[in-house]
Amino acid sequence: MSFLNKNVIRSITVISVLFCLLWLIGLGFAVGEYYAGKPEKVPETNTVSKKVENKKGLTILALGDSLTRGTGDETGKGYVGVLMDEIKEKTKRPVQLTNLGINGQRSDQLRKQIREKEVQRQIQKADMVLVTIGGNDLFRGGQGLVDFQAGNIAAIEKKYLDNLKFIFEQIRKSNSKANVFFIGLYNPFIELNQGKEMSKVVRHWNYDSAEVSAAFPKIVFVPTFDLFELKVNDYLYSDKFHPNSKGYRLIAERVASLLTW
Amino acid sequence: MNKLIQNEMMKLIAKKRLIVIAIIIGILVMLFTYAQYKQVQTQREKLGTSDWRTILQQQIVDTTNRLSSSRISDEWKKQLQISLQQQQYYLDHDINPAEPGAPTFMRIFLESSIDLFIPLMVMVIASDLVSSEHSLGSIKLLLTRPVKRWKVLLSKYITLCLAVSLVIAIAGILSYAISGVVFGYKGWGAPILTGFNVTDTGLNTSEVKLLSLWKFLLMDFGLVWFVSIVVGTLSFMLSVLIRSTAAGMGVMLAALISGAILSNMVSSWESAKYFFMVNLRLTDYMKGTAPPIEGMNLSFSMMVLFVWWAAALLVSFIVFTKKDVY
Repeated sequence: MSFLNKNVIRSITVISVLFCLLWLIGLGFAVGEYYAGKPEKVPETNTVSKKVENKKGLTILALGDSLTRGTGDETGKGYVGVLMDEIKEKTKRPVQLTNLGINGQRSDQLRKQIREKEVQRQIQKADMVLVTIGGNDLFRGGQGLVDFQAGNIAAIEKKYLDNLKFIFEQIRKSNSKANVFFIGLYNPFIELNQGKEMSKVVRHWNYDSAEVSAAFPKIVFVPTFDLFELKVNDYLYSDKFHPNSKGYRLIAERVASLLTW
Repeated sequence: MNKLIQNEMMKLIAKKRLIVIAIIIGILVMLFTYAQYKQVQTQREKLGTSDWRTILQQQIVDTTNRLSSSRISDEWKKQLQISLQQQQYYLDHDINPAEPGAPTFMRIFLESSIDLFIPLMVMVIASDLVSSEHSLGSIKLLLTRPVKRWKVLLSKYITLCLAVSLVIAIAGILSYAISGVVFGYKGWGAPILTGFNVTDTGLNTSEVKLLSLWKFLLMDFGLVWFVSIVVGTLSFMLSVLIRSTAAGMGVMLAALISGAILSNMVSSWESAKYFFMVNLRLTDYMKGTAPPIEGMNLSFSMMVLFVWWAAALLVSFIVFTKKDVY
């Protein structure tokens, strides 16, 4: 064991002692920082950075509720995923999707979400924006059926239209070039007792939404009401509210037929 | 005393155990580096971007959606909420929570190996320091020297502390050197946030501090060292108490692994927080994740570990000086 001479052992010992001291300092530092360190203000960035990283492909941003999320689709794609597959087939450019849909989101929540800096940055760099909103405002998981008798719909709709207008204004402010596709509502309750009356409300709702969309350039209202009008149960998930894979495919195909680039 | 320590150090080095440990750490770091690299790549492919803000924003939305599911437990929900608020805070302040580079890899490696991997390595050294003298029969030679018994044991203990420091240094150096090949060696100055306070209502961000990554790493290393010393001392005690090295290792191994399992499911068994093995994840307090049992914080965990450490040291010395050797 020639390598085990005294100097080697001594130097290993010295190195160990040094590291031991270093780690002790670290430990003391950790405890001190955890308890005594006074908080200093963490700088908050208020401006949306204008710098957009060098992007090569097509950037798609999806905003909205569970329809954007794809709830009810067994494959988990949703209309956004199916649409993405179609776009990828048609174009050779790389496609980037950011899906910011949140289950159960209502228009006032989207209004809040859209004011976040990072969301604004995402809008800014998008080439195409997909939006679904309003379903939870109107239906609220079936509660809407009760309210609709009470005649509260008008007040709810007024708030919703106000939010929608704000959302579109924000999108156009951040990004004046991207095409925006706003997906309209269908009536999942069409085959229930009050389906006919409900359909009337949904049609009216869609009409007003389309009017708001039309006031902005390049915001396209995409109707889905007719897709689900006949045989609605073939296209609905077992919760009888969200579309299933087939239903999402219908919506995606409709949007796909509108795409231009 | 100095000679005794040199003597112990020579025995330790002659055993070549440090080299074995270095090789094990090296292989593991390579595996982790590759795994991390793969993970980054699949994420990039899935989202079609390497922009961390986009990825973080997507993660936030995904977590939000998971929260709305009714199938997740309350505790898991709370943890998700805390990490969600933390991610949002990072995003709002335009700070990348995982700046790419070897230092970040080191941080993640330390945080995930503090409660099992590094203690295991330490255990390999500590658990036969005394018991091997029994099995080799050299204990008699050692104790017939004109040196007090407690001095012999102390020299062994100091050697253990030095070896633990060295093992942690090896882990740090290897993880930096190996991961840097893939992720690059820069990033020491990257900002990182600490001081998130987990309370009943969620995450308190009023005391959040901005630190450079190298400072944060130094703190992490200090905590890892503390944990390793405690675990090392406990194995040292077992090595004094139990003559068979294998049995001592088995007991320690069982304790460490049970700790890893327990901390996932003890949240309703409150007195479990006095076990040393559920208190090993000290770095989590720096990072600001929810503790396994409510009410645990850095000083609590350090106190618990300290008490276990002191008790183990006391037992070791009393038993060693009183015990009959034959």
